[in-house]
Amino acid sequence: MTALIELANVDKTYNQGQVNEVKALKGINLEIEAGSVVCLQGSSGSGKSTLLSIIGCVFPPTSGRAAIAGKQLSRLPDRFLTLHRRASIGFIFQRFNLLPELTVQDNITLPLMPLGVGPRERKERAARLMERLGIGHRAGFPARQISGGELQRVAIARALINDPPIILADEPTAHLDHALSLTFMEIMRELHRDGKTIILTSHDQLITGHPAVERLIGLSDGMLHVP
Amino acid sequence: MNGLSRQLNVIDYSLSSLWRRRFKSISVMVVFAAVIFLLASFQMTTKALTQAASRLLVMAPEITIQKMRAGRQEPIPVAYQKQLAGIFGIRRITPRVWGYYFNETHAANLTVIGVDPRLMPLGEKLASAIDTGRLPGDHEVVLGQGAEELLGGNRIISLFRPDLSLKPLTVVGRFRPATDLLTYDTLFLPPDDARDLFLLPPELATDLCVTVANPSEVDTIAKKIAALLPGTRVLTRGQIEKTYHAVFGWRSGFASVCLLTALTSFIIFAWDKASGLTPEERREIGILKIVGWQTADVILLRFWEGVIVALLSFVAGYTLAYVHVAFFDAGLFRPIMLGWSVLHPRLRLSPGVELSDVLLVLCLTVVPYLAATVVPAWRAAIIRADSALN
Amino acid sequence: MFLNPWSVALCLLSLVVLILLGIASRTAVKVLRHWNPASDSNRQISLENETWLSSTLVQYALGFQLFSLVLFVLAADNFSHVISGAMCAVGSLTANRYGMPALWLKLAGAFLYGLWLVVHHFDISSERYPLLKFKYAALLGLMPLLGADIACQTLYLAGLKPDIITSCCAVVFGEGEGKGGNLMASLPENRTLALFYGLAAVLAVLGHFLFRRRRPSLMWLSGGLWAVFVGLSLAAITSVFSSYVYAMPYHHCPFCLLKPEYGYIGFLIYGALLPAGFFGISAALASLVPAASGLSAVVDRFQRRAVLISCLLLVVFVISVSYHLVLYRLSGGEG
Repeated sequence: MTALIELANVDKTYNQGQVNEVKALKGINLEIEAGSVVCLQGSSGSGKSTLLSIIGCVFPPTSGRAAIAGKQLSRLPDRFLTLHRRASIGFIFQRFNLLPELTVQDNITLPLMPLGVGPRERKERAARLMERLGIGHRAGFPARQISGGELQRVAIARALINDPPIILADEPTAHLDHALSLTFMEIMRELHRDGKTIILTSHDQLITGHPAVERLIGLSDGMLHVP
Repeated sequence: MNGLSRQLNVIDYSLSSLWRRRFKSISVMVVFAAVIFLLASFQMTTKALTQAASRLLVMAPEITIQKMRAGRQEPIPVAYQKQLAGIFGIRRITPRVWGYYFNETHAANLTVIGVDPRLMPLGEKLASAIDTGRLPGDHEVVLGQGAEELLGGNRIISLFRPDLSLKPLTVVGRFRPATDLLTYDTLFLPPDDARDLFLLPPELATDLCVTVANPSEVDTIAKKIAALLPGTRVLTRGQIEKTYHAVFGWRSGFASVCLLTALTSFIIFAWDKASGLTPEERREIGILKIVGWQTADVILLRFWEGVIVALLSFVAGYTLAYVHVAFFDAGLFRPIMLGWSVLHPRLRLSPGVELSDVLLVLCLTVVPYLAATVVPAWRAAIIRADSALN
Repeated sequence: MFLNPWSVALCLLSLVVLILLGIASRTAVKVLRHWNPASDSNRQISLENETWLSSTLVQYALGFQLFSLVLFVLAADNFSHVISGAMCAVGSLTANRYGMPALWLKLAGAFLYGLWLVVHHFDISSERYPLLKFKYAALLGLMPLLGADIACQTLYLAGLKPDIITSCCAVVFGEGEGKGGNLMASLPENRTLALFYGLAAVLAVLGHFLFRRRRPSLMWLSGGLWAVFVGLSLAAITSVFSSYVYAMPYHHCPFCLLKPEYGYIGFLIYGALLPAGFFGISAALASLVPAASGLSAVVDRFQRRAVLISCLLLVVFVISVSYHLVLYRLSGGEG
């Protein structure tokens, strides 16, 4: 079985050829199997966000080969990266990145808008997810009015709305208390059981040491190491 | 129809997005509606005045002959008729005696028209325009609604001749209110009485009206008349109408150019509003991009926002302009637009709105606005998706 | 005659299109000089961003150009109230020698901007952007056309002389009111109609085949016939159909159809004919996309859709243009 995510000799250089050139990733070789739960560890500035962006099809690597969910990303124009991203990747962000004025349901269905999914189907798909995550009663509330734990579930629901094979979570528990962090990991474990591939970044002991995490990958100064 | 529902979704989102930033949207809309109001009012006033003039001209003769001396109009000898007898195609020549009578007590101008109804091409029509009474005989007069009110509704009225002697006239009829546009301030009387009122010698008239049998020969006949009668000005109805159009069109064009400065300042304002992105807006676009919106989707979102703002402002501005012109007689502009002496003083403006007028104002306002928001929309749309990651 | 709201609007519209396409061609020059898909430099990233801008700008330009086309005809109709000897738009457009060329150039502009967007659509369907250089070279090629369009329009407006009664005693007359003008010699009615309906039927049948299978030879045949058909239709509208709409046997004018007196039917007629012609012709032109670009699937999908759209619009066009004629003949006209 080939890996779901394959990076070979991946470099990423910002501001290439200029005085403020930054080499964020240097020769990354990484394979992640479908259905695994992986945690990336590293301090800020280690290249963690850059690596997550490449896996998340936000931008292509400067050089090297990157294949995500069967798609070769090297030097792919932005337009096609986006097409691939919205089919394959669900993002969960550190501060959830929800739009506070929009209702819970509208936040969740945001990725479906440019796909041309009609209002009825959007509502049904959101309702199913909200039910499953226990926030069904919050559908019509603006995101700014609900609690931190609920916000987190909204963010998860938005990542899942398009049923992507890969879930990326960037420091998901950094702003959560212990109990909520545990619930988050429980939800991740459940998604893992559904067959999703989950990649987390964190230096929270609770996550790095969580039994659901199958593999830890360390990153420092743009290079991989085994922690 | 995936593309269509994508458009609908983006429109849906742009409506909610405008509503979330309602203060900003409304401030743009108010200013924009004001600019549209100014332009549309001007446009409609011109149009209504031109149309009113055309409607007045329907009653005008096909050819009018005026005598000119030193570049000014003066009474024309009635005997000129005989010189024209040889022109084939002239049906009838009617001398007209007309002018303005200034009523000092009310400081108002009345129009005095002296024509022999039997010689008028539309004589029969005139009889049907009379509400009560009959066509005037000697020393009799028919009044328009306004003239009657002004003169107090007496059976016998007395008017001053230029030498301040009094000229008595018996009122024998009144014009229908429906013909107000043409007759509101008119005194209609036989030509000899009109001459008597203005102390004009019997061999003179104000001008000569020529009726032509075949309308397509008007220009040829007018040319022949001009050749036969040097020292006269020969006006055709078509030409008078075109002059009205040209003069009003010129004024309206001049006004449009002036109003373009207002438009320009609005465009700068709109550009500024569209390019100044708050941190929340930048964050929102970053989120949209990372959850799978294309740059084109964000540009589309901005486009629809622009279209919605523009159309709402347009409808508001245009409707207000219509109300302003139709119900308040374009109170803001009339002093500039009027001043064409032939026009009826109590003209009620009724702007007939055609698709082409709407398109014209649309082009002068909405097009520059949309064009001014393209580049800011694109600038906003290229905010990088990874800005949402940090 | 620039001091007229219609002239002001036309000039403004041209200026806007000029600015939009000017910005787009700046991008075109940059792309042609610096485009390098292998690079991850900031310049390449910003160029990629700018390609979005240029296509958006051309879309706007196309929209405004169509608007300008309609406005130009409406303006001409409005000018006829001012110009001596002009009865309707035909009279104003032929008042000097730049009127009709300006109209044709506007039409050509709208057609080519549309074609550019089709090429753009093909180009961005492939990850390699195979038509990129061609597309931007073509964009630069559109600029002289726009220049000619604006020049003709400006000369046309400058050459219009409004007819104002002068206060001197001599009268200046126009060339007489007879110049309501016909644009062209009238065509033999029955033969024209036979050709028109025959060609429409052939196009419909061809469309039916092409919708199922796109044979290149038939595609070209259809495209060529569409070009002929558009020309023939414009002539037939002018010479035959219009007088049935006006119910005036000697009024042959393709523009008065747009007026409210005739229920704005011209917007329906031209709104169906011109896009139908565009899709009919561009479906054939799409065959020119080289097979090596890897776009054959995209091109094929476009052709299928274009054929469908052109056929549907053909039906709308034929019905709307024949309506008055059929009505006249059914209601006991002399046929």
